[in-house]
Amino acid sequence: MIKEKISSQEIIDLIASKASVSKRAAEEFLKVMIASVEEGLLAGETVKIKNFGTFKLQWNEPRKSVNVQTGDEIKLAGYYKVVFIPDSALREQVNEPFAHLEPVELDVENNVLTKKNEFVEESELVQDPLRIFNEQASEIKNLLSEIQALSASPVSVISEEKVSSETIHEEENTTEPTNDKEKISGLIQQNQEFEDTLEQDDVKLIVENKTDQQIGMQELPENDKEKVDEIISVPSHNEETQLFSELEATPYLENIKPVKKRRIWLWSMIILFLLVGSGTLYYLYTSDSEFSKKYSINKISENISISEMINSVSKWFAPAEKPVSKPVTIVIPKDTTALDSISENQSVDSLQILFDNPRVYTDFIALERFKPGNRLTILSKRYYGNKDFWVYIYEANKERISDPDNIAAGTLIRIPKLDSKLIDASNPRCIEKAKELHDIYIK
Amino acid sequence: MNNKELIASMAVKMNAPKSLVAVLLETTVATCTELLVDEKTIGFQSFGNFEVRKKDERLSVHPSTQIRTLIPPKLVVNFKQSNILKEKLKDIPHHD
Repeated sequence: MIKEKISSQEIIDLIASKASVSKRAAEEFLKVMIASVEEGLLAGETVKIKNFGTFKLQWNEPRKSVNVQTGDEIKLAGYYKVVFIPDSALREQVNEPFAHLEPVELDVENNVLTKKNEFVEESELVQDPLRIFNEQASEIKNLLSEIQALSASPVSVISEEKVSSETIHEEENTTEPTNDKEKISGLIQQNQEFEDTLEQDDVKLIVENKTDQQIGMQELPENDKEKVDEIISVPSHNEETQLFSELEATPYLENIKPVKKRRIWLWSMIILFLLVGSGTLYYLYTSDSEFSKKYSINKISENISISEMINSVSKWFAPAEKPVSKPVTIVIPKDTTALDSISENQSVDSLQILFDNPRVYTDFIALERFKPGNRLTILSKRYYGNKDFWVYIYEANKERISDPDNIAAGTLIRIPKLDSKLIDASNPRCIEKAKELHDIYIK
Repeated sequence: MNNKELIASMAVKMNAPKSLVAVLLETTVATCTELLVDEKTIGFQSFGNFEVRKKDERLSVHPSTQIRTLIPPKLVVNFKQSNILKEKLKDIPHHD
């Protein structure tokens, strides 16, 4: 770009001809102008010229430098510098060729980022109830192992097995970060250990009790194995009823001291609540439709077993069972009502009608032949005063323009006459509407 | 010193009415703007040069959100003081 330099003399000539004054007068004026500005600056003031810009002084600090030839350090003195800040009017006029451009957020990167964020949020949502559940399960496990050490009871072993198998079963149904997988493998190990202890206890079991339910309990570890190996989602109904049947097996429990019996009852109740709670949480949090369908069936059976259990056990644990069924019903209706109220509250006014009606272009204020390098935004800025309203020009010329970003030179563009309310640049809603249309047309 | 004060001080120096000075100043500004829009450099002897510079487009990354934004190119007016003016400014004592 070769820049032509205009000297003072040429400026004087131009001013003289424009203001129809003599060249001498113009020259004097320019000298006085510069002198005045200098004077103002020397007085330490900022000097403002309307529509042109502001001159002010900036102090540049003294700094050290090095003489390139000798390598000696030299000190550069500080100095004042005149800085010129162009007025917005001048700035806009000068930047006219690039005025139609806007900062663009790079979409590809942006999408990836937001997707990542969504993923993190989702996994956190799923993880959070699971983590709490796992913590509780491990706590219970510790307590149960204490009880087991005291009583050597197979019931606690089995119920523990259930807790761990339930965790595995649930964790394998979701896509989990690696640390949870480690947990699963850990749980599998524990599972096998428990099976070993259970086999030892089996001898005792047969000696002590020979009811049908006990035989059912012996078969249970095999079920667990299947769950872990084949990742089959065994309906929790099955587990619930089995556990329930365990609870019914009171004759066996009579061998243990009454206090411990109560404790075991309490723990098995808590485990049940946890199972039901985790089930409901899963039902609420998983977006996977297949899983939720499957689980909803399970949930009905769970609820049945809960109500049965509550009936039978309510004598002992009247206050404890109430919160179980409540969280299921609360959350879902909230969402739907919120959505309904949003759609109803949409305000409808004249401007909205103007936006919503299909625009018909019959009157045209101008006809433009498209020049190379021209843009619809530039035309929009020229005719409507704002580049965002280019969408209306595009709408009026849709049949001639295949791609608004790439219009062939020489295309005749009709500039439509628009309702002044529609292209009110001072109204943020007009701009918003135009941007909305922009997003539709520019994909 | 704002526009009014500038016109007042110029009127005194030129011994001319303020209205005339105001008109002349407006004309000058309009002329300069026109020339700058045509991407011409204006040199005022003993004062400095006004020129238009093109700032290239650049990629900016928001430090906290990491959103990358393409900033379009733009044309800006730049003023460079002449050495004569710089010498004059040396007379101003610097405090602090």
